[in-house]
Amino acid sequence: MQKRVLITGNEACGAGAIAAGCDCYFGYPITPQNELTAYMSRHMPEQGRVFVQAESEVSAINMVYGASAAGRRVMTSSSSPGISLKQEGISYLAGSELPAVIINVQRGGPGLGNIEPSQADYFQAVKGGGHGDYRMIVLAPSSVQEMYDFTRRAFYLADRYRMPVMVLSDGRLGQMMEPLRPGKGSKSSAAKLPPKDWALTGASGGRPKRVVKSFFPADGTLERHNLELEKKYNLIRRTQSRAGEYFCEDAEVVLAAYGTAARLCREAVRRARAKGLPLGLLRPVTLWPFPAARVKKLAARARAFLVVEMSSGQMVEDVRLAVEGRVPVAFYGRSGGGVPEIGEIYRRAHRLLREKAQGGSQDRGTVS
Amino acid sequence: MSTVSDMADQQVKPDVYKSSLKPVWCPGCGDYGVLNALCQAFARLKLKVEDTMIVSGIGCSSRLPGYLHSYGFNAVHGRALPIAIGAKLANHKLNVIAAGGDGDGFSIGIGHFPHACRRNVDITYIVMDNQVYGLTKGQLSPTSPDQAITSTSKYGSIETPIDPIRLALGCEAPFIARGFAGDIKHLVEVLVRAIKHRGFSFVQILSPCVTYVGKQQFIEIKQRLHYLDQDPEHDCRDIASAVKVINEQDVISVGIIRCHERPHYQKKLAKLNKAASRKKAKLEDLLDTFRP
Repeated sequence: MQKRVLITGNEACGAGAIAAGCDCYFGYPITPQNELTAYMSRHMPEQGRVFVQAESEVSAINMVYGASAAGRRVMTSSSSPGISLKQEGISYLAGSELPAVIINVQRGGPGLGNIEPSQADYFQAVKGGGHGDYRMIVLAPSSVQEMYDFTRRAFYLADRYRMPVMVLSDGRLGQMMEPLRPGKGSKSSAAKLPPKDWALTGASGGRPKRVVKSFFPADGTLERHNLELEKKYNLIRRTQSRAGEYFCEDAEVVLAAYGTAARLCREAVRRARAKGLPLGLLRPVTLWPFPAARVKKLAARARAFLVVEMSSGQMVEDVRLAVEGRVPVAFYGRSGGGVPEIGEIYRRAHRLLREKAQGGSQDRGTVS
Repeated sequence: MSTVSDMADQQVKPDVYKSSLKPVWCPGCGDYGVLNALCQAFARLKLKVEDTMIVSGIGCSSRLPGYLHSYGFNAVHGRALPIAIGAKLANHKLNVIAAGGDGDGFSIGIGHFPHACRRNVDITYIVMDNQVYGLTKGQLSPTSPDQAITSTSKYGSIETPIDPIRLALGCEAPFIARGFAGDIKHLVEVLVRAIKHRGFSFVQILSPCVTYVGKQQFIEIKQRLHYLDQDPEHDCRDIASAVKVINEQDVISVGIIRCHERPHYQKKLAKLNKAASRKKAKLEDLLDTFRP
């Protein structure tokens, strides 16, 4: 068994990327993800790999675009305002079907916001962000270990499906330290992946030339291209949605939360269970594809949901879509760098448990 | 330039321009000197606070608008120039000053700089250059020297730094100056000239970072200073003098490096609008163009 190391989430992300064989990293300073860029600055050269501090986030994502087209494993990282700047590049990566890993260590918004942890980029990550009909696999770690593991997995998924994959973290996970057990090279190894027969590697020797593009001006060609993308996205929807469950088997009220919020909910569930209250937690691990089937299944049995986010209500919309009105879906969110309080999660869940006994109505929830 | 005309004979105190906010810059930061110099320059020019707008990007130095008692706009990283230009074109009467650091201006925002120079809108752009990213805790900046060791250049920088004065000269900025945050008296003179200049004026202010570069930066600049206003050979109207400055090795020249009057954007715009208005169609006739 490998030794454990004490490390920040941001650094764990970097370590995961290096373990996954990330060839190139392009970044730009922004708080609260600077430890990741600093880590890559130190360790990528040691491995003989490429580290560049680009002149902007726009430049960094386009360096990613180029390195990916050349067939290399490539990553960039930033925090919310910087991720906004990368949206054009992400849309082009998706349109050109190029793999890339993007880390978002979210902070408060909109605008410059603040540097406190936040989950307010959910919509941007899972509903598009950039222009056009595209999707991006979004992984949501909730521990330093997962910052490492999910970054490694992101490289695998990106290569497998030839698309950008985002690890949606937040400032709390990025900055906190936890023990990490670095994994052995296995799942994310490139061996099982299809060859990159699309990469721009030089066409000497007479092989047909390869063209990387997202431009389909001829009549009908873009729609055909988009249908192909949609086919791929549907395959991912069917096979790649992941979620963790905690005491959901007999839960009457199910908390739904990801990332840092899920850690807090887990503690609320633990306290409730210690008092014999039937509370459970569903933690989406993939935010796209959203584990809608799991939510739907739980909605058939549970009496109510309580969605907890560090936002004014974003993932709650996907939970409501999946629940399809079967049971009430309440919401508790803290915005602008606020973090939900475990006591408040517990109180609100407890209220729902009492209400359900009296057949309470749908609580739309508030931000507080 | 809008000034306090009814106070023509009275002195304006620099403190009038200071806000009640206490700067959060590190003790010893050069930006304190810039703030003081700017207030003194405003007082000298008797600028009305209500007619003055400071636009900044993001960074330590971009906190400047908060510490000034004028209209302030702490805007988008790297975008101080387009925002300042937008404000000036929307209200010609405003005294518009764009401010930021070397990262804001010459990394993410550099794309706007040549266009600000050639568009020549009557604004002043001051860049507090400390050769490092301070707000994000010490990363490499585009003006960091060769071999600089920072938190993102652990093995020393391998990139050639940008010389902002050389860049401005190449972009044909009509007014180019350099000041030092450690010589406030001189800096005030430079800023007064820059704000008075009709057209785009650019001032690079060497503003040392004691935290992420070190005290040595301040000492080295001070030892190498060369004052252009005391140099009889220097003529800011002659481009050869400016070329001499950008090629200097041992000294750091401060003062007005280049001053080249040419009609600014608003002046040309007024002329253009006047010419266009002679062909002015009535509002109700505008759609007639589209009728068959």
